[in-house]
Amino acid sequence: MTEFQPDDVTWQYVSRKLIPARVITLWIWIAIPIVGVTALGVILGVWSLAGAVFGAGLVVGLWGSWIVRRQVTAHAWAEREDDLVIKRGRMWRAVTVVPYGRMQYVEVESGPLARHFGIAKVQLHTASPGTDASIAGVPAAEADRLRDRLTSRGESQLAGL
Amino acid sequence: MNDPIPSLPARGPRVVYRAPREWTRMHPISPLLGGWAVMGVALAVLAYNVAPSWTGVDPDLQEIAHILTRSLVGFALALVAILAIALMLGYVQWRFNEFRLGDEAVHQRKGVLFKQQRQARLDRLQAVDLVQPLLARIFGFAAIKIEVAGGENSGIQLAYLRLGDAEAIRNELLALSAGVKRAKAAGTEASVDAVAERLAAPVAGADATAGTGVTAADAVARDGGDAAYAGAGEGKDSAYAGRGSLRDVVAMPSGVAEHEAVPERPVYEVPVARLILSIVLTWPTLWIMMIPIVVGAAVWVWGLSIDQIVSFTFGAGAGFAAVVPAILALAGYYWTRVNGGFGFKAAIAEDGIRLRHGLTETRRQTVPAGRVQAVRFEQSLLWRRADWWRVTINVAGYQDDQVAVSTLLPVGTRQDALTALWMVLPDLGDPDPEGTVSYALSGSGAEGGFTPSPSRARLFDPFQWRQRGVRATERALMIRRGRLVREMFVVPHERTQSLAIQQGPLQRRRRLASFTVHSTRGPVRPVAENLDVDDAVALLDSQTARARESRATQTPEQWMTAVGIRG
Repeated sequence: MTEFQPDDVTWQYVSRKLIPARVITLWIWIAIPIVGVTALGVILGVWSLAGAVFGAGLVVGLWGSWIVRRQVTAHAWAEREDDLVIKRGRMWRAVTVVPYGRMQYVEVESGPLARHFGIAKVQLHTASPGTDASIAGVPAAEADRLRDRLTSRGESQLAGL
Repeated sequence: MNDPIPSLPARGPRVVYRAPREWTRMHPISPLLGGWAVMGVALAVLAYNVAPSWTGVDPDLQEIAHILTRSLVGFALALVAILAIALMLGYVQWRFNEFRLGDEAVHQRKGVLFKQQRQARLDRLQAVDLVQPLLARIFGFAAIKIEVAGGENSGIQLAYLRLGDAEAIRNELLALSAGVKRAKAAGTEASVDAVAERLAAPVAGADATAGTGVTAADAVARDGGDAAYAGAGEGKDSAYAGRGSLRDVVAMPSGVAEHEAVPERPVYEVPVARLILSIVLTWPTLWIMMIPIVVGAAVWVWGLSIDQIVSFTFGAGAGFAAVVPAILALAGYYWTRVNGGFGFKAAIAEDGIRLRHGLTETRRQTVPAGRVQAVRFEQSLLWRRADWWRVTINVAGYQDDQVAVSTLLPVGTRQDALTALWMVLPDLGDPDPEGTVSYALSGSGAEGGFTPSPSRARLFDPFQWRQRGVRATERALMIRRGRLVREMFVVPHERTQSLAIQQGPLQRRRRLASFTVHSTRGPVRPVAENLDVDDAVALLDSQTARARESRATQTPEQWMTAVGIRG
């Protein structure tokens, strides 16, 4: 059985720092409703409700963290001679091939949390709205280099629509 | 440029229409052509007022309408006031809406409070359309829509210009765009002026033989036989001296276009009878036909009354008004189809594919050579007997009105559909193109060299797994799918944007994967689902290579040669 990827690629995996960055975001989103409902339960004295919600939140959070870890460790990119290959996902996996000559522009973005961990997201745009080509969790310095490299390759190979 | 200008006709100064190089406003009549939405509102108020009670309009709304129209005088005054305000707003908008042809792009600036600057680069031109809504058509005006590649809201709309001006500008833009691209390819100066000068020289020479193939409808308003000298001599400069505007509204001198319409060759047209029949033979019609049967059954079998059925269907206490939106939506669907496909004509010319269609609002599209990104064939169950097909395309740059602009053939026989495909993709890169496309349209399994979905896909595609299949020729990828509604995608290799394969957990257990070709924005989204995983990975590899090779070798000139416009 062949691998679920093109033959001749050497993957460059994204930074593991993406895991804490995403896990923190995940826990913030879980914590807000959990704390609210739990506090309500405590105030009203419905201890069973408070406990159940707290427990459920904990389970969902742990499960989510495990998924984040698995996703991040499966997220990688490869620069080939003429195109960029991106793979992502374990459960639902996808491999995208973006030719340099088709890139309209490259975007690098990093929010406060990502900056704290020193990572950035590199997003490639083609003329197609369907192209889902972004690499999350590239080390910040590498992200800038990657963008410059992609841009210059894009310019040299740019094909008309 | 060295042709002496012939003696001018006695009727007045001769004007050569061309895209203005200085900032120029639209035609002053534009606000009048555009501002009819307000009138619509006024008419709606009136309609509400006289609507009989059985239509079940909202009593509150009707009360307002009653107050408004208590006296006829009041209503007339209100109408005049609304009209005046609309006209004033329209005028202000018109004042602040200007365009010009710059060195490399068409520029537009507009907006009173929120200023907008837009530019459409000529070397990125994707399509130029002339659109004529009913009113504009009656009075001989047209809007130009210029579509360019890249980004949201990058297109420019110039509304409205005189039809002759609009045509002249369209022709000029298309000619310049092609020239700019050639100049860039050849490494010579690619500014508009340089290209225009170079274009003018051969045009003057070739005009002795030209002027034959232009159809009457597309011919630019011309003055006698002297159109042949368009673009030659200093006349054009003197005619434009001192004024950047198009033509004076009052004293409108006759003239000729600097760039004539390129001769075109008709390819196919859609008879009205076939269009109407094809629209009747669609799913909504089937549903409508079901209604009397279901209602009849309900009345006879269960002894329900009509009132009970209506209140059951639309909720208790619903009046006739509840049905109105449904009817309107349905009418809207039919209307869009009829209006969009009416009088559909396709032709090819040196500057690309010409499509002309529309009942009240006519649209003349020009899609330059090789600008079609992807093609979809579609045949619903009711069309199968007649073997009719609908062909839609993706053209980069089109943002709105997807149905109106992306139809290549509203309905046609298999032969028409094939012709439509050859127009877009003259060389399929296959020894037996007709046979191959026939397998692609109505084949199943592996016949015709297709890579089918394996029978393991039955779980996900119980009906259509046999129909799913992919095949790449030298020039394009074909994806087939659908059992009730047959569908087929064709994507030229050089138009592929990016590629992807996906696999979900269930697909993995069955060793299947889906293959997607990303095309530009449009109604055609080619995807081949549930292929064998090895086939999908191999396809990803081979398509990447094919797309790379094609990108490097294909040019618009090859399209012209292939469709037989240039020897």
